[in-house]
Amino acid sequence: MIDERIYEMFREIGRDLYGQNMISSHGGNLSIRLGDKVIIKRRGAMLGALKPHDLIETRIDKNDSGVALASTELLVHRTIYKQTPALAVCHCHPRTAIAFSLSRDEIVPIDNEASYLLKKIPIVTEEFASGTPQMANKVASALQNYKIIMLRGHGSFSIGQTLDDAYFWSSTLEEACQIMLAAKLINEPFIEYRKMSEAYNKF
Amino acid sequence: MTGWNEKILDIDLTSGSIKTYPLDMNMARLFVGGRGLGGRLLWDLVGPGVDPLSPDNVLIFTNGPLTGTAYQTSNRFSVSTKSPLSGTILDANSGGFWGMQLKRTGYAALIVRGRSEKPVYIEIKGEQASIQNAAETWGLRVSEVTNKLGQDKNRRNVLCIGPAGEKLSRIAAIMNDGQRALGRGGSGAVMGSKNLKAIVVEGNQKTEISDPERYKFMVYETRKLLAASPLTSQALPEFGTAVMMNLVNNVGALATRNHQHNMFEGAEAISGETLSETYLVKNDACWACPIHCTRISKTGKTGEVEGPEFQTAWAFGAQCGIADLEAIIEANYLCNDLGFDTISAGSTVACAMELSEKGLVDSDLRFGRADLLSSTLEDMAYRRGLGVDMAEGSWRLAKQYGAPELSMSVKGLEMPAYDPRGMQGQGLLLATSNRGACHMRGNMLGLEVLGLPKLIDRFQIQGKSSYVILNQNSNAAIDSLVLCKFTSMGVADEYFARTLSAVTGIQYATGDMIKMGERVWNLERLYNLRAGFTSKDDTLPSRLLNEPAPDGPTKGWVVHLEPMLKEYYRARGWDANGVPTPQKLAELELKEL
Repeated sequence: MIDERIYEMFREIGRDLYGQNMISSHGGNLSIRLGDKVIIKRRGAMLGALKPHDLIETRIDKNDSGVALASTELLVHRTIYKQTPALAVCHCHPRTAIAFSLSRDEIVPIDNEASYLLKKIPIVTEEFASGTPQMANKVASALQNYKIIMLRGHGSFSIGQTLDDAYFWSSTLEEACQIMLAAKLINEPFIEYRKMSEAYNKF
Repeated sequence: MTGWNEKILDIDLTSGSIKTYPLDMNMARLFVGGRGLGGRLLWDLVGPGVDPLSPDNVLIFTNGPLTGTAYQTSNRFSVSTKSPLSGTILDANSGGFWGMQLKRTGYAALIVRGRSEKPVYIEIKGEQASIQNAAETWGLRVSEVTNKLGQDKNRRNVLCIGPAGEKLSRIAAIMNDGQRALGRGGSGAVMGSKNLKAIVVEGNQKTEISDPERYKFMVYETRKLLAASPLTSQALPEFGTAVMMNLVNNVGALATRNHQHNMFEGAEAISGETLSETYLVKNDACWACPIHCTRISKTGKTGEVEGPEFQTAWAFGAQCGIADLEAIIEANYLCNDLGFDTISAGSTVACAMELSEKGLVDSDLRFGRADLLSSTLEDMAYRRGLGVDMAEGSWRLAKQYGAPELSMSVKGLEMPAYDPRGMQGQGLLLATSNRGACHMRGNMLGLEVLGLPKLIDRFQIQGKSSYVILNQNSNAAIDSLVLCKFTSMGVADEYFARTLSAVTGIQYATGDMIKMGERVWNLERLYNLRAGFTSKDDTLPSRLLNEPAPDGPTKGWVVHLEPMLKEYYRARGWDANGVPTPQKLAELELKEL
């Protein structure tokens, strides 16, 4: 039985991800780690309208019956939990960030908040960009050094101590990309206001 | 290798021998410094049968690769020993200047073993160490001996014990730079048992850094984040740590009158806000710290003195039912000068107050009797009257008078300010803490009250162990670096890992650093198991498990420890008895222990 408080946490963040156009109707997934177990969204459930039975509890280190119900991205969530100290994972499809991921190898924000919080978001490329061990390992490996990364053409994976935390990095990334896009449209010379910003791409 | 001093100084006070030898760099890579390195050295040096107050116990003073680099809060150092209060492995760390100065002498660790026949002090000037006669300082209070031995803020720093340590009080602290404390667990008594009054350090070596550009960037970014966080840039500098008083009271988690209540009607009067409006003269800081949480307060009796911190204001305030800030400042000053841990001293007084009110002890002590604080502390330090028993700490005191359940302690160490009935995760933390009830092992205040990094439900039971474990591992890592935990109120663990990498040239991902903390935690667990502790010791005072909280937003709650503990053992990779599995030890490179 999953605690009602945990369900509420998933429900609120899933609803907000959908409301902010960070996922499609059935896209994205969320999970939290409970010791050697993971609670993750049910496969095919709508993150924007989660019901209590849409949360699945399963093991991190081996399969049990929960795997039959869990999100197709269970493998990458499990791998992240094995390879990083994360207690929560947020995977979503931030549209502007995905667009930027198609033409560069990293995203270096220019706005103040994302510069503070993220510095740099690496972009990982994988031929089969969903649910494979290769993709899971690449994503988890990148998350050993960054709290959010982009999978080229697919979406973001972020980690945190709490779901709030992981969600925050995702929404910060998308906000940063929207600002970068707007700045490109304005097309005026950029005035650097951040000291030592040249080091961001080495972060 | 950069960052570390690669030498250990080893002094035997029985024989008078002074040796130096190389630091095992593989051990340094795995345990880094501070608490981790000290614990690993202690494992080899002090076995399970050793009486903590015998010559066979050792004191291990350690710094870390970041110490003295000027990275924010890199002033701290640590002491490791076997605790005379709890019998567990013990580490305590402290800020100020002494730790930075020890690093400048060129040593990664100072081991003191044996027992001198007569009182002595150790002087380390650069790499030269000597044992000096302390006849003139034995018996002096902390402020006196610190001045007499030539404390000079940035150049020569004194660490010493006061009368409480000399008289082997099990709640005696080691003091440094006058009013800083290696407070918890009675390390001051270990120092007293060795007839060692003080250690004076002077040095001028610089710490080399592997990647100065990367290091400079991390210092810059850390400064920026600490300046951006309202906690580290406003609340702590303006109000000090006592800014927590009202916050914790408001959620019904401020332990009051020996944990009989969970809210204190006088909280406002002893809060950081009130302190700022009344007795505060200015704030101050440890070396290389931009936060400035130190309080400099002044009363008619004390003059200008440091403190009080939140935990001290609580221990002599809410826990004793006292809303008199002037009396608390005086009690704090006396503890510093006599050389007591303020949490244990205040809680022991509170325990004595409840014993007296219940007629189990013949004494005038009662909750609210601020007028008796000073004389009681003097009696404890010099072991007079009831002070003889109180100097042993609350658990031995309460047991002596037939009511051990009235000691608010875990494994013999007195609990901090938080009533865990209103912070379930804090309850699990305190029950499982390796040195006894200590919030600094993985404080859940951030997650359960402050919303750092995000607020979680403080009454949630399921899943709470994961947060506690991550915090415990992270805090063990920070204690091994050795940094101040207040930095983590503004800066995430990834910054520490990157700075450690820049300084040492070894690439530590954030996960590597947390794994190092987990290694330290498991090492400490093994030490305690070897010393005879079992899962039965991972518990809380029965009051908190069985008596529902009477007040405010926490009313009706007890700590639901059992389900959290079961989940905790499993999530730690331990068996049902709380013993680390062989697989877990192999994963942490601890198989040889």
